[in-house]
Amino acid sequence: MSGVRAVRISIESACEKQVQEVGLDGTETYLQPLSMSQNLARLAQRIDFSQGSGSEEEEAAGAEGDAQDWAGAGSSADQDDEEGLVKFQPSLWPWDSVRNNLRSALTEMCVLYDVLSIVRDKKFMTLDPVSQDALPPKQNPQTLQLISKKKSLAGAAQILLKGAERLTKSVTENQENKLQRDFNSELLRLRQHWKLRKVGDKILGDLSYRSAGSLFPHHGTFEVIKNTDIDLDKKIPEDYCPLDVQIPSDLEGSAYIKVSIQKQAPDIGDLGTVNLFKRPLPKSKPGSPHWQTKLEAAQNVLLCKEIFAQLSREAVQIKSQIPHIVVKNQIISQPFPSLQLSISLCHSSNDKKSQKSATEKPSPEDHLYVLEHNLHLLIREFHKQTLSSIMMPHPASAPFGHKRMRLSGPQAFDKNEINSLQSSEGLLEKIIKQAKHIFLRSRTAATIDSLASRIEDPQIQAHWSNINDVYESSVKVLITSQGYEQICKSIQLQLNIGVEQIRVVHRDGRVITLSHQEQELQDFLLSQFVMDLKVAVRLWFSFPVTSVKIFQKVMFYKIANGVIFVDHSKKCSGIKWKVETLFIKWSCLCLHLALASYDFFQNSFQIFSRNFDLKCLQINYKHKEAITSKGVLFLKNN
Amino acid sequence: MGVVSQMPVAEGKSVQQTVELLTRKLEILGAEKQGTFCVDCETYHTAASTLGSQGQAGKLMYVMHNSEYPLSCFALFENGPCLIADTNFDVLMVKLKGFFQSAKASKIETRGTRYQYCDFLVKVGTVTMGPSARGISVEVEYGPCVVASDCWSLLLEFLQSFLGSHTPGAPAVFGNRHDVVYGPADTMVQYMELFNKIRKQQQVPVAGIR
Repeated sequence: MSGVRAVRISIESACEKQVQEVGLDGTETYLQPLSMSQNLARLAQRIDFSQGSGSEEEEAAGAEGDAQDWAGAGSSADQDDEEGLVKFQPSLWPWDSVRNNLRSALTEMCVLYDVLSIVRDKKFMTLDPVSQDALPPKQNPQTLQLISKKKSLAGAAQILLKGAERLTKSVTENQENKLQRDFNSELLRLRQHWKLRKVGDKILGDLSYRSAGSLFPHHGTFEVIKNTDIDLDKKIPEDYCPLDVQIPSDLEGSAYIKVSIQKQAPDIGDLGTVNLFKRPLPKSKPGSPHWQTKLEAAQNVLLCKEIFAQLSREAVQIKSQIPHIVVKNQIISQPFPSLQLSISLCHSSNDKKSQKSATEKPSPEDHLYVLEHNLHLLIREFHKQTLSSIMMPHPASAPFGHKRMRLSGPQAFDKNEINSLQSSEGLLEKIIKQAKHIFLRSRTAATIDSLASRIEDPQIQAHWSNINDVYESSVKVLITSQGYEQICKSIQLQLNIGVEQIRVVHRDGRVITLSHQEQELQDFLLSQFVMDLKVAVRLWFSFPVTSVKIFQKVMFYKIANGVIFVDHSKKCSGIKWKVETLFIKWSCLCLHLALASYDFFQNSFQIFSRNFDLKCLQINYKHKEAITSKGVLFLKNN
Repeated sequence: MGVVSQMPVAEGKSVQQTVELLTRKLEILGAEKQGTFCVDCETYHTAASTLGSQGQAGKLMYVMHNSEYPLSCFALFENGPCLIADTNFDVLMVKLKGFFQSAKASKIETRGTRYQYCDFLVKVGTVTMGPSARGISVEVEYGPCVVASDCWSLLLEFLQSFLGSHTPGAPAVFGNRHDVVYGPADTMVQYMELFNKIRKQQQVPVAGIR
């Protein structure tokens, strides 16, 4: 810092001579410092030969050695005498230790040299690497786990195998026992399918539908008996069963309901011929025992009997315009005037006698399987109704019957309301309605198909809808002319086929109801054909002439639909020419119409003239001669 | 809703002839015959054993049937509630013999023809008690309406058209409750009152209109 006086620092060297003694008067006697050689000797003595470079252990030993050296370097006898434990003997000259160490080092080096030279020869000594211990397993804990897991899994597998062995043993035992089935196990199997009860010492079963809601008075009980006619000495047959069922005698064999429609009414004398052809038995499931098939067949017979009983009861009770006839096992009714519907119960017993006589082959078209199936469904529907929750009384003390009927008393329903509750249609009426509809539908289809095959131009297409009702079907009919499909789209009819009539809905909204008469439908469709023809022809009339070629005797017009040859003898021009061409065009039109009309009218012109366009036909007739006399030849493109 | 009234027998004529007169009038009017009807009534009174020591008069209970409601049975007290029940009620009454005893010669009924004239239902019947005819009952029902006050005037007009001077006044059933929905029970109450009135008359009636 400026302005402050500098401090005087004096430096003294520390190399002072060691004080040997201090006199009594304060004078100090100094030791002579060591000379260069004395210093070197002192330092040499301090070298520790046992100490390596950079080794800590040896440094500690070296420190010890230093202290001991210092003790020796003092070369004062006083110190040595006090430390009697000092192993180091007072040295004679300072280089003694150095010399000793060097000498020992030399010895060792010589030894090493000798060993190495011997080893190099490899005759008496060789170098071998020291075998190392195996690496300590680092994955020790994981292997242990694996081994323990393996052991435990093996234990579990052992237990499972034991169990499986036992099971297979028991299964094989069962297989063996199957052949020697005993009565009780078979009875158990029977109980799984059928209701059994024990009465006295007999076992009876119930195969009627009473528990499912039927009201048929048949008892439907079968008896289970032990099959004891087995000879133990002989070999047990494959299909041996220790159990047998005995079904009531009137339910033996197999039965089915045959519904058929015949066109012509048979003579009264023919009634009573009972159709009894044996339908092949429905194949039972391969594993089912013989009593199962027997019982199922008997139950089917019972159901068919119930259906037939219900139908015949209704046939007799219900009043209809044409009464139904019930003869033996047939119910005959007439849904349409020329049609006869016959429902018969075909029951064939298993007697050998009847098998011989049943040689008739059933014609497949005769039997309407759909209606038979529907009958089964309807009777089951009726069964379910008796058991439904609507029928079951709530509270339990109320009478049986429809729920609303039970309320009709306390709520004072009058007759109209009560009638609306009760379903008025019986089984027979439903089946007759369905049969009518099926017949009407098939006949409509046949009519349309016959028209389509008979008439080539115009064409008729029918698109039947897949989703139909039991009482109603619908079909969409299109009538088009070839080449004019896009233009004549106006003839599209939707036919709704009901139970007794066909309702036709036109594209322009008109609704026409046709009766079940076949002829009515045919007439109507034919009228539609002609409507389409008229439209097509009108369009055709305006055909453009693409090219004209005039030869000496023949004129040749080429148009879209064909070629016209006109024979002419004189040339004409101007207005006469126009008239001529117009006349030719008109003639061709009529010719086309005539050809088309001829195709499907055939010989019955008179009948249809009432329905169709008279003008059209008359022109046709009028110009027939004109055409031929004029000599127009028209070749239509096909 | 309907009204039940009694038609007095014309002078010098029997019950049957009066009925024939009425029916002819209806047919001329244009009504179509639709079968027959029957309304009957049985009287019960509470048994003496249940009366106790008070000595009060036993209540009268009427059990009625109406062919218009074929599955129902009506049970009513004089000024009390009317019960509409199932036909099993008759069987129940047999079981309750100890509590309700049938009064002697009490069965009274009316039978006749049922006519339908558009929305009107007219029933003309002969009231009989035992073998003897006691009077004529006329019931007119207007189907579409169930509220009394709305159609009473229409009914009155219709009644006047064929009953002439014998048209009744508003039935007592309505009373003050003109706007309440009319039900079959009300019809039965009217019949009950009619039968009671006829029962009180001993001979062939000349009595006035209710």
